[in-house]
Amino acid sequence: MLAVVVTGYIYSSTRERKFLKSEAGQSLELQQKVYQAQVLKEISERIGYSLDTAKIVDIITSSLGNLLEYDTVAYMVLAEDGRAVFKCHVEKTVNHEFVEEVKEKMLLSYGAILNREIKPTSVDESVTGNILDDNLKVKVASFFNLPVVISQKLVGLINVASSEKGRYGEEQASILYTITNQAATAVSKLQAVLDSEKGKLAAVIYSLTDGVITVDLNYQLGVYNPVVKDIFGLPTDKQLTMFDIVDSLAGKIDLRTKIEQAIAENKTITVPEVLLKDKALELTISPVKDNAGQIIAASVLFHDITTEKSLEKLRQEFTAMMVHELRAPLTAVRWSSESMIKNLSAAQGMEPAKIKDTALTIETASNNMLELVNDLLDVAKIEAGKFELNLQDYDIVEVINEQAKVFRPQAEVKHLAINVITPAKYVLKFDRVRVSQVLGNLISNAIKYTDAGQIDINLSPDAENKMAVVAIKDSGIGVSREDLAQLFSKFKQLQSGDRSRKGTGLGLVVSKGIVEAHGGKIWAESAGENLGSTFYFSLPLKK
Amino acid sequence: MTKIVVAEDDKLISGSLCDALKAAGFEPTPAYDGEEAVAKAKEVMPDLMLLDIMMPKLDGISVLWEIKANPDTAKVPVVVLTNIGDVETISKIVEAGAVDYLLKSDQSVDDIIQKVKDVLARSVKLA
Repeated sequence: MLAVVVTGYIYSSTRERKFLKSEAGQSLELQQKVYQAQVLKEISERIGYSLDTAKIVDIITSSLGNLLEYDTVAYMVLAEDGRAVFKCHVEKTVNHEFVEEVKEKMLLSYGAILNREIKPTSVDESVTGNILDDNLKVKVASFFNLPVVISQKLVGLINVASSEKGRYGEEQASILYTITNQAATAVSKLQAVLDSEKGKLAAVIYSLTDGVITVDLNYQLGVYNPVVKDIFGLPTDKQLTMFDIVDSLAGKIDLRTKIEQAIAENKTITVPEVLLKDKALELTISPVKDNAGQIIAASVLFHDITTEKSLEKLRQEFTAMMVHELRAPLTAVRWSSESMIKNLSAAQGMEPAKIKDTALTIETASNNMLELVNDLLDVAKIEAGKFELNLQDYDIVEVINEQAKVFRPQAEVKHLAINVITPAKYVLKFDRVRVSQVLGNLISNAIKYTDAGQIDINLSPDAENKMAVVAIKDSGIGVSREDLAQLFSKFKQLQSGDRSRKGTGLGLVVSKGIVEAHGGKIWAESAGENLGSTFYFSLPLKK
Repeated sequence: MTKIVVAEDDKLISGSLCDALKAAGFEPTPAYDGEEAVAKAKEVMPDLMLLDIMMPKLDGISVLWEIKANPDTAKVPVVVLTNIGDVETISKIVEAGAVDYLLKSDQSVDDIIQKVKDVLARSVKLA
């Protein structure tokens, strides 16, 4: 995977090798190892999390002073656009020619490795360290080039050069090789970790259900996930630009100003509600910082709050409707009693028939209100899971007949017949009061929504599900397909209803709660508007 | 006699209101839904209309728009009587051209009769 190849010319020097081995002996080797370890530590500390190849090569190069003797140490990095960076550090005074020679040798070596002639379009050259003295007669007498390969890619070349002949042998090459190799391995690993982390990060951003973008300091779009396109309804095959996003938000929010503010004030800005054509968004704009705490970009999170908003709207509508429904009977009670008091205290008094009328109004209005308050309390109990049932063995047929009898006078006013089609007796375990409430509710609804025809109440066993099913079938206005699904939901009442048939629809919500508390189900079927409807509820059979 | 259309779907409330208006010397005509309210306004040409908002068939705000859009009825002063008290509805009512707005449960019948008299006095002055 990783290869650091030593190329170039190694002027081997037997004399020096002997020196290293014999005269300094083991202690020198040990010392050298310690140096190497120190240099490596220094390199890895200085590299940190940087993957800037020029910087890495620079760091390696500048750490070699302790281990090698040289007149100059240089590195060359070839950029993809053909430009080359050549940096040379002059340790011992040399002349311009010396530096030029080093550069030539490096270009040659680079070309040899890449197997092509290197003719850089331009060379960014910098020479540091000691001053150059052209009066000095020095030439490159020994040198070697070491390529730095990170993640199987040649990133640069390091050169050490000396005016002294035979300065570099295998040992020196080996030192440099080890250092470069280890530094390169570390960087390769870092690169792999970063790539994998980047991959993970990309996967995380990609899989987010919120839209995310980053915007750099030049106001250019950085990363973004596909949700962004979804949110703004932009084509999926097109590359997204900042313009698309700003355009989509035009007239709703000045995103650029918000981003600039987040960056300038170094704080997260939340825009709680941006209303688009068919969506509501919550925006969170935060500055993005690098390791050093420098702000390098801003991120914008687009959180779709359409569902929350519509639920919130439903809740508000429900509350408004409840307030209205509670105020209506209260108003009737208040005005009727006012008129009674006024008339009774007037000199001519009040006719008995008028008194009875007004008192009846008060009674009806208070009953309506009591019914509504009871429904609301039941719903609250159901929602809180505090709905208690008094389960006993009862004959459901008896309860059905009882409720049919209660509602027949109401039905007769509209010339509707109530037919009960059941076996003579059928015992189930249920809460008699609550199931009567369900039956009453469904029968009164059937009467309310039927202007002609009849209401059939039917009891049949469902052996498969071990249930007894009660069906209340009417020939009334029916229910549209959309409304069928919403009938039993608390917030969906009266959305499209004909308000002349009074009711909050809470009765169905309560009925659902009662039936489900018994372990049964409640549902409705209708062939469509004006085709009648059938409401069913099931209760478990006795075990 | 001064004619007043009472657009109110709740028969109990409508009854009390009409009784009180009659007792105060007005001639009330009840309308029990929005469509009837528009029809009664054209038919009766009232001096004033009391209008509920939540009504079947056509809501009060739509009734208001229709009345204001018809040159025959555009000048009929409309007092909205409702139990919906949210700001959004109030602003819609004002925008649609109601002369006043009263929250039913906050008012006594006498308050409403007084309001009717005030509005009528103002519109006579204007005419």
